[in-house]
Amino acid sequence: MIMVRAIVRPEKVSEVMAALMYAGFPAVTKMDVFGRGKQRGMRIGEVTYDELPKEMLLTVVPTKDKELVIETVLKAARTGQKGAYGDGKVFVSPVDEVYTVSSARKETD
Amino acid sequence: MKEIIAIIRMEKMNAVKEALSEAGLPSFTARKVLGRGRGKVEYFLRGNEEKSMEALDTMPPGPMLIPKRMLTIAVPDALVAKTVKTLIDVNSTGRAGDGKIFVLPLLDACRVRTGERGDLALDEQSALPAEA
Repeated sequence: MIMVRAIVRPEKVSEVMAALMYAGFPAVTKMDVFGRGKQRGMRIGEVTYDELPKEMLLTVVPTKDKELVIETVLKAARTGQKGAYGDGKVFVSPVDEVYTVSSARKETD
Repeated sequence: MKEIIAIIRMEKMNAVKEALSEAGLPSFTARKVLGRGRGKVEYFLRGNEEKSMEALDTMPPGPMLIPKRMLTIAVPDALVAKTVKTLIDVNSTGRAGDGKIFVLPLLDACRVRTGERGDLALDEQSALPAEA
């Protein structure tokens, strides 16, 4: 299994979550985060904003679905034709074990 | 070292804190998150049965986002099984929505106060089984 963590624009969250649902990945955890990227935040006039509000989506999926999930998130989270600065990032990390609490079952791919 | 991410019911938090302390795993990070699962949860409203059906009909179809607690616990390899067992024992109600536990590899840890690295930086040393 792998964990996909996507940091996306708050206004795009519902679109991304709907896209994941239609792609067959209903299980998602969402949390509010603040951060800056390699553009060092946003500069408006004299003021620099370097704690921009974003939403982080966390989902754990079978390894074979990795590309599909990434594709789905990227497609839904991108703004405009070519995407824009601030659209977010997707991180993928390995997961050794997954357990469902209610059945105490160890999930496998 | 492993990072254990557990997503559990909000109301189980106190029981979990107690159980983890008893198991010698006092340290964790918790945060409030929203989540949805595989979508087999049956919703019900406590109290008025008839009104409940009426209210549920107005809800959108499909799984909804439910408030949950996310715990992040860093433990040495030897304690992963114990932690997972403790979490499952405390949180099981047998109904859908009890949560998930993920075990992720953790490359390094560092205690900010002293600069200790690796397993030494983790607090759970006292819970380790005594080595011969």
